[in-house]
Amino acid sequence: MEFMNGLGLAFALLGAAISALLAGIGSAVGVGMAGEAAAGVVTEDPQKFGKVLILQLLPGTQGIYGLLIAFITLSQIGVLGGGTAAISLAEGILYFVACLPMGFVGLWSAIRQARAAVSGIALVAKRPDQMGKAIIFAAMVETYAILALLISILSIVGIPALGL
Amino acid sequence: MAVMPMSKINIFGLRKDRKKILEAIQRMGVVDVRTFEKDETGFDGIDTMLSRSKFQKAKTDCEQALDIVGRYRPESKSLFASFDGKDLLSHEDYNRMVEKRDMIFNAAAKILRLEKSISENKAKIIKLTGNIEALTQWKELPIPLNYHGTSKTSAFIGTFPENCTEEFLLKQFAEICDKKEIQGVADIVHVELVGSNETQTCAVVICPKTVSAETEEVLRYMGFAAPVLSGDGIPAEKIKAFENEIEDAKKSIKDAENQICDSASERDNLKFLVDYYKMRIDKYQVLEQLGHGKNTFAMTGYIPTRDAEKIEKELSEKWGAAVECSPADGDDVPVMLKNNGFAAPLEGVLETFSLPGKGELDPTAAMAVFYYFLFGLMLSDAAYGILMVLICGIALWKFPRMNEGMKKSLKMYLYCGISTTFWGVMFGGYFGDAIQVIAKTFFDKDIVIEPLWFSPMNEPMRMLIFSLLVGIIHLFAGLGMKLYSLVRTGNWKDAIYDVIFWYMLVGGAIVYLLSMQMFVDMASLSFILPPSAGAAAAVVAGIGALGIALTAGRSSKNPFKRLAKGLYELYGVTSYLSDILSYSRLLALGLATGVIANVFNKMGSMFGGGIVGAIAFTIVFIVGHTLNIGINLLGAYVHTNRLQFVEFFGKFYDGGGEKYSPFKADTGYYEIKKD
Repeated sequence: MEFMNGLGLAFALLGAAISALLAGIGSAVGVGMAGEAAAGVVTEDPQKFGKVLILQLLPGTQGIYGLLIAFITLSQIGVLGGGTAAISLAEGILYFVACLPMGFVGLWSAIRQARAAVSGIALVAKRPDQMGKAIIFAAMVETYAILALLISILSIVGIPALGL
Repeated sequence: MAVMPMSKINIFGLRKDRKKILEAIQRMGVVDVRTFEKDETGFDGIDTMLSRSKFQKAKTDCEQALDIVGRYRPESKSLFASFDGKDLLSHEDYNRMVEKRDMIFNAAAKILRLEKSISENKAKIIKLTGNIEALTQWKELPIPLNYHGTSKTSAFIGTFPENCTEEFLLKQFAEICDKKEIQGVADIVHVELVGSNETQTCAVVICPKTVSAETEEVLRYMGFAAPVLSGDGIPAEKIKAFENEIEDAKKSIKDAENQICDSASERDNLKFLVDYYKMRIDKYQVLEQLGHGKNTFAMTGYIPTRDAEKIEKELSEKWGAAVECSPADGDDVPVMLKNNGFAAPLEGVLETFSLPGKGELDPTAAMAVFYYFLFGLMLSDAAYGILMVLICGIALWKFPRMNEGMKKSLKMYLYCGISTTFWGVMFGGYFGDAIQVIAKTFFDKDIVIEPLWFSPMNEPMRMLIFSLLVGIIHLFAGLGMKLYSLVRTGNWKDAIYDVIFWYMLVGGAIVYLLSMQMFVDMASLSFILPPSAGAAAAVVAGIGALGIALTAGRSSKNPFKRLAKGLYELYGVTSYLSDILSYSRLLALGLATGVIANVFNKMGSMFGGGIVGAIAFTIVFIVGHTLNIGINLLGAYVHTNRLQFVEFFGKFYDGGGEKYSPFKADTGYYEIKKD
């Protein structure tokens, strides 16, 4: 039984790790892509630095959401904060599953959002007055990361109440 | 809260006053000049391309001179220089400066000349240094490098490949003579080494004139080559001469640099000249848009109606120009917004979307209320809010002359900060849970500041429902704006078909959901509406749906097509579902701020209590919360914009208006006082 409990904790931690990992990778790739494009624009016109920087940072939020989920999971299962709540195997797997939406959607949406941001940067390079629209195009993609974040948060917060 | 009424203005004046009138108009800065229709009126156009490019060149020269001066004598600027705004210049000072313009321009030309001489001298130094390097190996040679021998002897000066000795060279010479069957040469040739390095040996070869041809052939075979640098003069002396030349060049560089530094006093004048040429370029651009007659000229454009009278009076009194104004109602009338201090900061945000098109309402005021509300809800930390208010407030107070765009942004963040503080108090966030963590770690006490309303982190479901409710209100307000603009223009039918039916459908559906046990359980609501209310709501929603299906396609005459279009529009109800769900980002971003703040607080507290712990905590606290504010400000800004642009504007606003951009003194450094 003790082994099973240990396994539960391992699953929960795996979930937290996957959420931080995948979403973090997605954001790192995304911010990197957008950064390359932004640097290209700044070589032509250093004045646009502020504008393209905002666009570059847009795909960065998924990594933060991933961190958020990982952190909530860690504090729920007692890895952070020193509480030693016993995690049953079933609970551990639930935590693992609850983390998946943020991890996977975070990964893909960050990269896709980065592509929208790169195009947005090209748009701002030619027509700086269209900045607002360029942001919106990229922000549309983020909606899905936010929906995934929502489901992950609600699931994780709801698990203890199940009493498994 | 409105779009300013605009007038079309036509100005006719005498040609001799053209310059003065144009300058007056530029100074007043209220006329958005348009191209005058020349074809039918008998007025001609003129081409100012040449003059403009001349001014452009002068402006570029001044800018370069400024840049050069800045490089040698950097301007001492404070960190907040960008807040300072432009320097004021009185009209008399302006005129005085204009008179000095040739002098200033000469100063600019001189700076450019000096800079050119500096770069030329630098190139010269590089070349001379190369020469000295090439001559160094020949330093010991007491004769010129182009020495060819006496009347009886021939001398060859040059280098052999590789580093070798005299004996080796003589031996090699003899071997080659044997191979080529040249006799009587090897014994009488004299080789003397001058210097050497790893890759070559410098030598002088002397032989009687009678065998000079043979010797040369053998030498060539051995890879003997003339020195890179030839010419008159003994190498050691030449090196000395080159060194002197370098010294001279260095001195003149220093001289030129000092002179440029001395011209730093011209900096303000140069800035003025840049502005001056910019204004002249603009003026000539406008000149091209005018109609020119033999003794008269004509100008057309748009002007805010409130300024029309003033400009009419000024121009007709001073120069007897004929000014004619009439209310403008074309498609290309430029848009100027006028809002009160609360809403005006958001005009810039509206501009990034699109200005109101013809006949559209200015949505800024309605947007402002929601904008500040949503922004605060997403950031929702009282301490962050107070920081925003303080920073923006102090900047606005200390730098009253900062440029208009910056002022607007700071005011916007000031109001957003107030809202952030409000929601922070409601939800109990003060640097996250910093107070609790500090009390626990350093004073071993349990202090918890209870949220005034509830803590979203403990009750995420409640926060989600609240977020969706905010969304419904926001969307309905958007529909309300459409209702208002339709009613205002008297389109009662459209108002009922396109707005009231939707209100019935969406509102009814929501009330119906609230009477369902399953939904109430899911959302963990504490109340449920009675079934009778649900039934009534269902009927209302049904009427709405029927109404939409029957009327939304009313632009088509064909009844089948009409119904099909109506049903398609009805299918659009799914977009309301996704629109409302989109507001769940209020929860997500609010939680993100709080949770990340808590992570940093926890990280800081991991070093324990005591002095070391306190120092570590302070560092983690400052770095962490700065980062968190940055990330979440960006997030709140982007997503508030999104909710406004996509969800809110999607219900009623198209935009497409053109910005009002008057012909004015559009300067970069100075602002010329309007008398």
